[in-house]
Order: sequence, then structure tokens, then C-alpha cells
Amino acid sequence: MKMGMVIDLEKCIGCRSCMVACKQHNAQPPGTWWNRVFTPGSHHHLTPPAKGIEFFLPVHCQHCENAPCAKVCPVGATYHAPDGAVLIDFERCIGCRYCMSACPYGVRQFNWEAPEKAHQRAGYQEHYRFGYPEDHRKEGRLVYAPLRPKGVVEKCTFCAQYRDKGELPACVRGCPGKARMIGDLDDPDSEIRKLIRERNAFQLLPEKGTKPTVYYLPPKAKEI
Amino acid sequence: MSATMKNALRISGALFLIAIVAWLYQLKEGLVLTNLQNSYSWGLYISGLAFFVGNAAGGLVLSSSIYLFGVKKLKPLAKLGALTAFANVTAAMLIVLPDIGKPIRLYNMLLHPNFMSPLVWDVIVLNLYAAVSALYLYILMLPDLTGPLARFAVKVADPAGFSETWARRIAPVALLFAIGIHVITAWIFSTQGARDWWFSPAMAPDFVSVAIGVGTAVVLLAAALAYGTGEKYQDAYQTLALIVFMAVCVHLFLMMNDLVIHAWFGDAETHRIMEIAWGDFAWAHIFEVVAPLAGAWLLLQERVRRSLPRLAASAGLLIVGVFVHRFLIMPAAYNNIPMTMTPLGLPGVHWSLPIASGRFFPGLSTFLDSYAYAPSFIEVVILLGIMAYAVFLVLLAIAKLPILAKEVS
Repeated sequence: MKMGMVIDLEKCIGCRSCMVACKQHNAQPPGTWWNRVFTPGSHHHLTPPAKGIEFFLPVHCQHCENAPCAKVCPVGATYHAPDGAVLIDFERCIGCRYCMSACPYGVRQFNWEAPEKAHQRAGYQEHYRFGYPEDHRKEGRLVYAPLRPKGVVEKCTFCAQYRDKGELPACVRGCPGKARMIGDLDDPDSEIRKLIRERNAFQLLPEKGTKPTVYYLPPKAKEI
Repeated sequence: MSATMKNALRISGALFLIAIVAWLYQLKEGLVLTNLQNSYSWGLYISGLAFFVGNAAGGLVLSSSIYLFGVKKLKPLAKLGALTAFANVTAAMLIVLPDIGKPIRLYNMLLHPNFMSPLVWDVIVLNLYAAVSALYLYILMLPDLTGPLARFAVKVADPAGFSETWARRIAPVALLFAIGIHVITAWIFSTQGARDWWFSPAMAPDFVSVAIGVGTAVVLLAAALAYGTGEKYQDAYQTLALIVFMAVCVHLFLMMNDLVIHAWFGDAETHRIMEIAWGDFAWAHIFEVVAPLAGAWLLLQERVRRSLPRLAASAGLLIVGVFVHRFLIMPAAYNNIPMTMTPLGLPGVHWSLPIASGRFFPGLSTFLDSYAYAPSFIEVVILLGIMAYAVFLVLLAIAKLPILAKEVS
């Protein structure tokens, strides 16, 4: 089993629901966004960079097979789960941020201060908490906590806390256009492998040799 | 102990203590006290690592010159070389601590080391170099460990002969680790395929050449301050100045070589790098080239070497130039977002994906594709404190241990 995700850019309407679902479910502190949706070529989201050209690009951890972040981590806090997902052990991370420099996708986020303080600074209502409320361990390692320790790195886990219960990641469930799909990359007959084959799927920065397990299906040109 | 020495110890010691307090405060509040954020995740502290590692090369230059190349006139300065090396390599390890989010968990480096990580290699080689520098210094001091210090001396029949033999044996090992600290510190950056500014095979040899230049300048400065600029060591100073000048020339060649190759092909990434390096930071870049070159050239002049203020100013200019060079490791790496693309249907457009800052900056967007980093007050205080630590350690050792040749001490 090798986890993979396919994002159909033809279906993506740039609504950023996945961004918000991800932020909510994973209790991300202010300023932290594991999942981001942009309008490539434009400085403003949902503003076409040129007439007739508009598509959207969701970007989060690409769960690379040859993940530079896992290779540089001095203590093995960033590691590959048996299904290939790249996870961070919040109890082992020393916060050196080497992985943040090494990641070409810019998806790794640091806890510059305690989340409670970050909430306060951003003016959140007192004691307001959101997100999956319990710690989640995978083979004994703390891969999700609603309140992250100050000084550790975090990023998308493909919602490890939900997948381990047989549920889909929040972004997949939250997408109104059903543009996202997860599946088994090892199985040549899986739905995602079929889409990758038939729809000319591409990866981000393939030239970096990171072997992402997130694939994008190119959108058709818009009719004007 | 002279009054000047006492005051210098007091001031440097106090600065170091202030840095410790500042670090404890930063530990409590988090790295939010720095001006770093997600898209610009290493700053002054890691530049400081590269700076101190470079300064530590003096011991290598002295020991290998004396024992591998037979330059005997440098022998009286060998202990100073080993001492400045030890002070700087330990300072290099200290300056990493405030950059670590959870330093309390550093034991994980021992329990779960990931041997693929160049950071693990760096920690190993820095520790080995610190240990071997301390050992080398001890061996060199052995014949002079008399009086109250005699209880620290290992009992051997012929301390002078023993010291000479073992110094000769340790020198090649020290050389290996000494080259190792520069190469591996450079690899931390240059193995990162994500960052075009760093991803260059020229970086490791460049680190070695900068280090030989600045490390030797540190020893020259320390020697001139300790022994003055009289006739006695002029010969040795001249040799050191020559080593400094040649090393700086090799460094500038390696740096320019890299820039020309980067710039010539002129792809979009390189355009962005050159924009940052020669646009926003043009003056800093001019300084990082001119200051070490001018400093090294001035040190070649005999009248500069014969005047303490001139020698100190020239060596100081070189060291500051190298510091700026170390600071400039970061901007062109972090302000050039690796995740760039040519959007479908828009050939010729080079678009960078902004990064969530992870911090709340009033008046600044959460998503940044460039960021004007300047170190915060606490970063500066901590860096100055670690510099003061290196000075304090060198002065204390000179005051308490038989570091300087007998006739002057």
C-alpha cells in the first residue's frame, strides 16, 4: 500500500474549502496553513492573471517518496509511515527547522510560540478551541495534537487521525467539487492510478527528484 | 593580571551572561522573539554558526604549517592557534542552541541519530574538532605545566620530548577534523537541492578557503594583541599574512566562479538570485568582496604589521567582511521561493507560490513570497554574547594557563 492523492484541477473552483477544512480539523494556529490554494500567475486569488486563463492550485505536503525533509531531520522526527505518508513526531522534533529549508514546496510550518499565545495575539475569543480534540498516536508516536508544543515543526499528515479510523482526509471530504481523491499508488488498477494514466497527471517540481505522491490532473483551457 | 585584562574579562563575561539570560527568555517565549518566519527560517544564529566555524580554522593552519610543512617560526604561536580554534568551535556549537526550538530534546541526537542528516555529521565533527583542539593545546602546554598547575600534568619522563612527539602525531588527525568542520558545515547548505543559491559544489571548497583566511587572521590578531608588533615575531606575522592573502584570493575566485556560472545561463531562478544578491543587497555584496580583500592586502604591508592599531584594524576589516559574507548566505536562499512554476497557458511567466508565515505580523500578509529579514534585538544580543564568550575564553586561558611564550608572560 502506498498512499497517494490526485487533485483534479479541472474540478477545482478555487473556493478554498479544503484550506479551511484542513485548518479547522487540524487545529492550526493563526498564520499557519498546511494547505493553500492559489491562482497561479496572479498575486490575488481568484483574479485571472490574463484574459481566459484561470485555474487554481492547491498545495500542501507532497508526501514525497524521496523526501528531503526526512533525510535532513537529525533525529528522525520526520519519517515515512508504513503507507508512505510523511509524518512528524511532535515528541521527538527538536525544532532545528532544517526540514523547512530542505522542503522545496514551502509547506512546513514552525510553532514560533505556544499556540495559546498565538491565539491571543491574533485576537481569538478566549478559550476558543477548534479542531480534532484528541492527541493521535501512530505506533506510539505523537503525530497529531490539538495544541502543538512550542518550537516544533508541523505540516499536513493526510489527516492521520482520520485515516487511521478509516475516514478520508478533511480536504477530500470538504471539497464541494469532489476534486480530490486518495488511493493506493501500488495498485495499478486503483482509481487514482487510472486517472494518473488517462489524464496526463503531473507532479510539482518533478525535476527536484523528490518523487511526490500527490498528482495533479491538468485543467482544460477555459472557454472565453 | 593587568587592569586592562581584568576589564576585558569583566566586559566579555558580562556580555556572555546577558546572552544567556536573553536565551532563557527566548526559550520561555519561543522563537517568536526573533524576526524569522516560515519562509525565512534561518537567520543570524545560523550565519553565526558558519562564522564561528570559519574562525576556528586558525589551529589547523598553525599545526599543519608547523608539523606537516615544517614552518618552525610559527611554533611559538601554535598554542594561541589551538586556543582560538577551541574557543571558536565551541562558540559555533553554542550559537546553534538558541536557534533550536526544543533544545531540551537534543538528547534525541544521541538516542535516534539519523545518519543521513548532514547536521548529525556536523555535530559529530564539531565535537571531535573541539576535543582534539583541547587535547592538542594540552599536549603543547604540558612542558609548562609547573608550579600550581603541575597537578594537571600527566607524569612522563621527558615532558618536552613527549609534547613534541604527540603534537606531531595529533597534527594530521586535527587537520582531518579541521577540514571536516568546514566541508560538512558547507554541506548542510550545499546539499539542499531546493535552494539554488546554496546548491553548488563550490560551497565546500569555498568554506575551506574563507576559513583558512579568516581563521589565520584571528590568530594573527590574537598574537599581535598578546605579543605586540615588535621585531620578534615579524617573520611569523609575515607568513601568516601571506596565508591570509592567498586564502582570501582563492575564496574570492571560488565565489566569483560560482556567480559567473549561475549568472551566465540566466534561467529564471538565477535571475531572482541575482536580483536579490546584486539588487537589495548590492552594498553588502560589494563589502563582502572589498573588505576581506582590502584587509588581507593591508596585512601584506610591512608598515601595517609593525603597528598594532593598523594591524588590528586591517584584521578587523577582514573579519567583519567575512561576517557579512556569512550573513549573505541567507537572503538569496530564502527570498527565492523554491516552489515556482510557469503557470499553464502563461509561458514566460515565473510565478512563486507564497508561503504562510506562521506568525502574526500586523500590516503584513500571511502569505509571503519575499521578506525583508533583519535580526531582532534579542538575536543581536545573543550573537554578541557568544562572540564575547569566545573572547572571554581566550583571555581567561591566557591569564591562567601557560599559553604565551615564557619571556613575555
